Amino acid sequence: MKTGKLFRVAAVALGLALATTMASAQALNSGAQAITLNATLAESLTLALSANSVNFTLAAGSATNNGSTPITATTTWVLKPGRTAVGVYAYFASAAAALTDGAGDNIPSSAFFIADNAGPSTALVNTVPFGGALAGLQLANVAITGANKNSSRTDAMAFNINLTGGTLPQLPAATYTGTLNIQAQATP
Amino acid sequence: MTLRAKLGRIAAALMLAMTALTVRSQGQVLNSGAQTITLTAVLTDSITVALSGNAVNFVLTPGNPNNPGNVGITATTSWTLKPSVGSLNLYAYFSNSASALTDGAGDDIPSADFQISDNAGPFNALTNTVPFGGANAGLQVSSTKIIGTNKSGSRTDSMNFNINLSTLPTLPANTYTGTLTIQAQAL
Repeated sequence: MKTGKLFRVAAVALGLALATTMASAQALNSGAQAITLNATLAESLTLALSANSVNFTLAAGSATNNGSTPITATTTWVLKPGRTAVGVYAYFASAAAALTDGAGDNIPSSAFFIADNAGPSTALVNTVPFGGALAGLQLANVAITGANKNSSRTDAMAFNINLTGGTLPQLPAATYTGTLNIQAQATP
Repeated sequence: MTLRAKLGRIAAALMLAMTALTVRSQGQVLNSGAQTITLTAVLTDSITVALSGNAVNFVLTPGNPNNPGNVGITATTSWTLKPSVGSLNLYAYFSNSASALTDGAGDDIPSADFQISDNAGPFNALTNTVPFGGANAGLQVSSTKIIGTNKSGSRTDSMNFNINLSTLPTLPANTYTGTLTIQAQAL
């Protein structure tokens, strides 16, 4: 009987010790404090040219009057979801007078050609989002997918003036100047 | 002996007896029973975390490893702990490591690209599994050893934030939002 009592006392003591240990191991947590994070990645579309001037030495009636230097357009974009395409365009303000001598003699945009990335030489005869009617050319169209919403491309452009069309073989000697614009557009 | 003398003796004897009785009754103390009052004082253990602000904005540059938050936030942790507590840790965490911040259109900034510098220390990404939040979505900001002298105390953790986009070069333009949670635990 005495031994039984001792066992009971020991069991109670062991239980108390276990309970104390369990209570000690219980973690005490603070309340959770929230910080709202707001990060903005702005949408952008830039186009940079390797140079800003091209010279031509014209030969009367010649189909091939190459520009002195090609120019590379680097288009860089960071776009929002929902954009599906980036287009790169070359254009003049007027189809009839892409280059002019200022004395009424003009070289139309249809006589001005661009070869993009060593492709075929193509005249600026289309209506594009910028510039005059029938005074443009779409150089490139990039489909935007999940993988290239933040990306870039280069377009190496070589230029030519074709003086064989219409009255151009009769173009008087003069200095003809004009401004070709290169611009990109993300849609929609 | 005259009657007057007799009366005088009787009066004197009575006065003497009364005086003796009075002296005896004043010298004996009388005590009530002792009544006990049980006193119980409870100092509840507690931990609180207070933040100096609750919002941080970031202006992101594509592919840039350094996109710091516009403001630092200080967490002040105050505690009153039981003697059995050995340490007090402060944690920062997200609920999900894959999408700590999201634009809601399937584009996410993972917790691995979110970094915290504590008290001007190095920036560390939230890539650990801590007692709170999602797996691999947390960081132990600080740890304080609890000894006899600081069972009741406080500490401050001044946190600066950064988003590293060097591993996310194709992240599309958008506004990314998320919730960073700060919480302490004593163990």
